Amino acid sequence: MAEAMIKIENLSYRYPRTKKWVLKDISIEIHKGEFIAIMGENGAGKTTFCQCLNGVIPHSHEGKLKGVVIVDGMVTAETPISKLADSIGMVLEDPETQLFTTIIRNEVAFGPENLNIPIDEIKRRVNWALEVVGLTEYIDEAPTALSGGQKQRLAIAAALAMLPKVLVLDEPTSQLDPIGTREVYNVIREIREKHDITIVMATHKSEEIAEFADKVLVIKDGQVAAFDKPWNIFNDEQLLKDNWIRPPQVSALTNYLNDRGEMLEKFPVLLEDAVTEIMKWYKGERV
Amino acid sequence: MSLIEYHPGKSFMHKLDPRVKIFMMSILTIVIFMVQNFYVIAALFITFLALWNNAKLPAKNLKNYFIFMIGLLGFIILLQTLFYPGSHYILKPLIPNFVPLIGGMGALKWEGFLFGLLLGLRLITLIVLMPLVTMTTPIHLLALGLVRLGMSYKIAFMTTTAINLIPTFESETQVIMDAQKMRGMKDFEEGGILKKMKAYPALVVPLVIGAMRRAQMMGVAMDARAFGAYQTRTYIEDIKMQKKDYLVIILIAIYAVAAVVINYMLQGR
Amino acid sequence: MKSVVLKIDDLSYKYSTGSTALEHINIEIYENEFVAIIGQNGAGKSTLLKNITGLLTPTVGNTYVNGRNTKDLTVSKIAMEIGFVLQNPDRQLFAETVEEEVAYGLKNAKLPADLIEQKVVESLTAVGLQDKRKEFPPALSKGDRAKVVIASVIAMGAKIIILDEPTSGQDYRGCYQIMNIAKELHKMGRTIVFVTHNMSLVAEYAKRIIVMSRKRVMMDSDAEDVFSQPEKLATTNITPPQITLLASKLQEFIPIKKTVLFIDELGDELLVLHRK
Repeated sequence: MAEAMIKIENLSYRYPRTKKWVLKDISIEIHKGEFIAIMGENGAGKTTFCQCLNGVIPHSHEGKLKGVVIVDGMVTAETPISKLADSIGMVLEDPETQLFTTIIRNEVAFGPENLNIPIDEIKRRVNWALEVVGLTEYIDEAPTALSGGQKQRLAIAAALAMLPKVLVLDEPTSQLDPIGTREVYNVIREIREKHDITIVMATHKSEEIAEFADKVLVIKDGQVAAFDKPWNIFNDEQLLKDNWIRPPQVSALTNYLNDRGEMLEKFPVLLEDAVTEIMKWYKGERV
Repeated sequence: MSLIEYHPGKSFMHKLDPRVKIFMMSILTIVIFMVQNFYVIAALFITFLALWNNAKLPAKNLKNYFIFMIGLLGFIILLQTLFYPGSHYILKPLIPNFVPLIGGMGALKWEGFLFGLLLGLRLITLIVLMPLVTMTTPIHLLALGLVRLGMSYKIAFMTTTAINLIPTFESETQVIMDAQKMRGMKDFEEGGILKKMKAYPALVVPLVIGAMRRAQMMGVAMDARAFGAYQTRTYIEDIKMQKKDYLVIILIAIYAVAAVVINYMLQGR
Repeated sequence: MKSVVLKIDDLSYKYSTGSTALEHINIEIYENEFVAIIGQNGAGKSTLLKNITGLLTPTVGNTYVNGRNTKDLTVSKIAMEIGFVLQNPDRQLFAETVEEEVAYGLKNAKLPADLIEQKVVESLTAVGLQDKRKEFPPALSKGDRAKVVIASVIAMGAKIIILDEPTSGQDYRGCYQIMNIAKELHKMGRTIVFVTHNMSLVAEYAKRIIVMSRKRVMMDSDAEDVFSQPEKLATTNITPPQITLLASKLQEFIPIKKTVLFIDELGDELLVLHRK
């Protein structure tokens, strides 16, 4: 088993001047190179959880933190966020608030510049990051000239260019078109293969999770409702119902058939598997 | 229609080293405030307009601001004409001098008019000067200029980002205003000036909430991008003072001194 | 024959910077239609909506709302006929309580107090927020903030409702609730136009789909037709819903009908064919 890249022990958190614990006693381990998807209703604590990983909590928010979060060997509460940024990159949901410069090239270079990376290496990374998100042609333009979805891709490029060991993404594709969304997942697959980056991503997109994620963390009312392989998550009808999680459509179809007395041999969460399983079922009884 | 946003180009102003532009902006601001003479200010104003034209900055932006500024100018002149201490009356006091406290009020004074005109002109001149710099310098180079002049990167970044946020707030204001129009708020479109003025405060709540949210999220995002992680940082673009830049510094210095000297010479008369 | 409520006549739009955002758009939308506009990021969808609602003025061509040219109308006048819900709810919330928020537009229209109250109740009921009347809008959840905006817009009585990515950033429950509100409004006779990237919502709710690609209208048809052309859709970064893709793959082996849009539709068909 790979080493633990992120280790969370009994994490609880409460925002200042509030009584409610937004996160309650979370203990999980995330291994190097894993892709963890975080699911759950809005307000369940997904964003708060993400911010605990890169140290924004407790450094930039007061409030009460219990338990320990260790990322790449550093205890987040005891390490300055900017130092943590060496190991952990983060893409926020709203692209507008995370772009600060007037030229796209500089936007992507901003993080690596802060990390004292040599100029040539930064330039290489800027070109690479813009290429993987498909914004190369805009390198000299202003971020304000981009559409919402393009800005979201730029924010991803800016985080990628820092080549972090862990990349946390808080709903990074909420404004992207379907193929743009897939491209982001493909990019993530590519950088995982090449750089062994650990990915933590809050998202609602079940089809992509089924295909790309190693495990799914379901958060409900600040607690871990489940932490398991996508297959187990999407196969658990009660869990899906309790957390308003929409399964991939092929899984929903399987459930529909099940409810009418037709069982597929193996529960599919992927399109290809669904084709195979349905064909088996369809032919099986005819022969 | 911002007077801040960077406007790409290859003009004289664009090519100047940011430090020279920062120097120009600060020294000429001081000059504008020192100078009392109408002609000297007018000369400065015309120089700036010439540079504006040379940098191919959009005249449209300036025009919109001038419309606003002329209103402001009128207001300043009126206030000064009313309240500036002077004895050359354009209009005798409405309230006789012997009335306690408010005696002598309501008079229009020539000195006040001139003073108001000068003050207004200075403001207009200043308003052309600042965008001459901000619109010809990308924000990261402006920050780098400040750093090379000895400011810490953190402060330089904050300062330039604050400038950069002004256009953002302008567009944010526009969006909120549009949203209000779409809820049947007619005053922005049909109302007179008074009605428009009354409608603006309603923009404040969403703007402030938006600004607070933005500031908080920006802080988070900056942290995530390792802002201020180390004492030093790399700059992918560097700035170097060229011969031309030194020459321009000397020219600006001469220009500034000349303006001040001429101002005092003319004032002596 | 239903009447045309929105007519876009050879519309082109150029930004002040000179770049073109829309080219030769021709669309007619009829009373009580339920229309989805889809297309890749940057295809011009939002710009088109702004041209319809008067926030932008067409560079060439015209848009007509109930027969009247939007160029002759102010934004606030157009708002009486078209309710426009912008993408980010936060810029559309100005008041201190939910009820004041909904009443804002009604007060601008100078309606009598009892009528305002009645409309506030009606609209809040329509979006299911009756019990949150006294709350501070910015403090509500993202889903509820979007619903407050929708309530505020529908309170004004416009017969056409336009929603720009109403479900972006919403969770499944939020998406479902917001789209059901739209569905109810449609049942009550309103015309609905929405922009989205969520194709399963498009398949489920829209009766007509306008596909935009590179500043132009690429397709304008019903869901069956549009989603039966995946190659064409891919050129504007759209993929049909997963269930549609599954059905088309199964088609090679099983004689199911050409374009399937719903899970139960495919399920039922498989069951019938299987039992034969």
